[in-house]
Amino acid sequence: MELFTPEIGLVFWMFVAFILLFLVLAKWGWPMIIKMMDKRASTIDRGVEDARQAREQLDNAREEARKYVVEAQAKQSEMLREAAKMKSDIIEEARREAAEAARREMESARLAIDQARKEAELQFRNEVGKVSIDIAEKMVRTRMQNDKAQTELVNRLLDEIEKN
Amino acid sequence: MSKRISILAFLLTLLAVLPGKCLASGGEGEKKDIDVKEIIFEHLGDGYGWEVPFSHTYRMPLPCIVRSQDGHWFCFSSAGLTEVKEEEGEDGKVHHVSEPVVKVCERDGKQYSFVIAHVSSHKDKIVEIFPLSEEDRGIVDEALARERADKASDNAFPVIDGYVLVDGQYYREYRPLDLSVTKNVAAIFIAVVIVFLMVMSLARFYRKNGLRAPRKGMGFIELCVSFIYYDNIKPALGDNARKFAPYLLTVFFFILVMNLTGLVVIFPGGANLTGNIAVTLVLALCTFIITNVLGTKHYWKEIFWPDVPLLLKFPLPIMQMIEVFGIFTKPAALCVRLFANMMGGHMIVITLTLLIFIFAAFGAAMAGAATVVSVLFSLFMLALDVLVSFIQAYVFTLLSALFIAMAQAREEHGHKGEGHDPDVEKKEAAELKSEEAALHKLAAEIDMNK
Repeated sequence: MELFTPEIGLVFWMFVAFILLFLVLAKWGWPMIIKMMDKRASTIDRGVEDARQAREQLDNAREEARKYVVEAQAKQSEMLREAAKMKSDIIEEARREAAEAARREMESARLAIDQARKEAELQFRNEVGKVSIDIAEKMVRTRMQNDKAQTELVNRLLDEIEKN
Repeated sequence: MSKRISILAFLLTLLAVLPGKCLASGGEGEKKDIDVKEIIFEHLGDGYGWEVPFSHTYRMPLPCIVRSQDGHWFCFSSAGLTEVKEEEGEDGKVHHVSEPVVKVCERDGKQYSFVIAHVSSHKDKIVEIFPLSEEDRGIVDEALARERADKASDNAFPVIDGYVLVDGQYYREYRPLDLSVTKNVAAIFIAVVIVFLMVMSLARFYRKNGLRAPRKGMGFIELCVSFIYYDNIKPALGDNARKFAPYLLTVFFFILVMNLTGLVVIFPGGANLTGNIAVTLVLALCTFIITNVLGTKHYWKEIFWPDVPLLLKFPLPIMQMIEVFGIFTKPAALCVRLFANMMGGHMIVITLTLLIFIFAAFGAAMAGAATVVSVLFSLFMLALDVLVSFIQAYVFTLLSALFIAMAQAREEHGHKGEGHDPDVEKKEAAELKSEEAALHKLAAEIDMNK
């Protein structure tokens, strides 16, 4: 039964020892430990958070860079397409202009040719007239070398005039 | 591996053979019957000196502080209360036996005699003795005559209440106020010093090294601190955690150290501290005081006017009675749980060890077999006790935290808490339940072992 009856002396010393231990540790022990553990925990948490943010930023930066690259590529292909279009435009234009120029050239050439032909025709007619007159003159001269012929002609002409 | 096994086998064989050898050589001299109950109680109980390791005779003296009947304080060494005498056994060998002697102190020309009572109602405690007066002599003679008339007992010197037998003579005894630094008290001081050093070394480490994490031993202390603080105190107490953490952490480490040093067999350990109800009583009392002195208005309202149908509380204060009863049963349960668990563990180990000596009566073979079995079993029980030491320290802290948390409830907090903290509460309840289940399992195991 003595096991179940608390001994006064032991209770007293236990109480004193425990309270002393508690007071000393509560003053100089535990607050320090808990403070530092909390601090370390929050530091570690902050570190983890920082790392996470850094990674996020890195990911963001990478994403952005990729976006820039894609954009640049898009721009490049756009430019290339534009350049190609411009090239074909220029070629087209040049071709058109060349065609136009050729057409104009031909037109003017045709006009010149027409002109020349007309002139040539005119000249030719004049020449032909002149030649035929010359021929006629020569023929007349040759046929009018004797008086008879002349008189006959005069008569025929007179006849003609009379008939008229 | 096989080497280890062979070493183990060798040790076990040695265990089996040695007791037989001892029996053979010890001869017939050791005829004294073993008083199992006395040995168990001696090991579980307290003492005025501390046994020198591996000796049962010599004790390290400790200071005795007693207040005599007329109010004088006396302080003397416990060495003056016992004397080692040489005693010749029947086989001619000399045994050293520690015997109580009367310590006489003088104060103002008056003599005061103290002795460690043996045949008395204050067995193994210091009592102040006085010579018998006429009246006393009458009482003693009457008691002796009654004892002699009782044929069934052949005890020549019975225990007579209020009297003590010293050297074959009865004296009137007075149990003085005894604040002696007994073995248990000294062990408490040692535990206090160990806890102090543990905690202060960790605190100093932090002061010196800032946020660096401690390693090795201090890492283990920190592990325990963070386990108790972040897993028990914080969830239970929330915002109040910092306020009550010093108390709860001190309790945890103090109990843990006391439990573990109690398991060590020789000098710095060996005192059955947490298996002593005075120690657990003080701890439970501290929790009781903190719980109720710092309890909130809401806590007291819940006790004296709880939220239950009116009939349960008005004409007859049924709920109030239950609640008030609960105030006292909670710390009482704390006290008894720790005490019974630790004492049970110690008792089982001692009993298992005593099995050897009990079976020795049946001859060498029996003694050998009993030795092997009992050593294996006590080894197992000691290992279990290490686990129990930790679990009991943990349970005490956890329950203290929960009791304190209950007394810290606030109305608005409580309602809010019910609204959005049910998870924490549920978790706590589940933890508590699993803890209790583990406890019951352990208790069942212990019972089985018994």
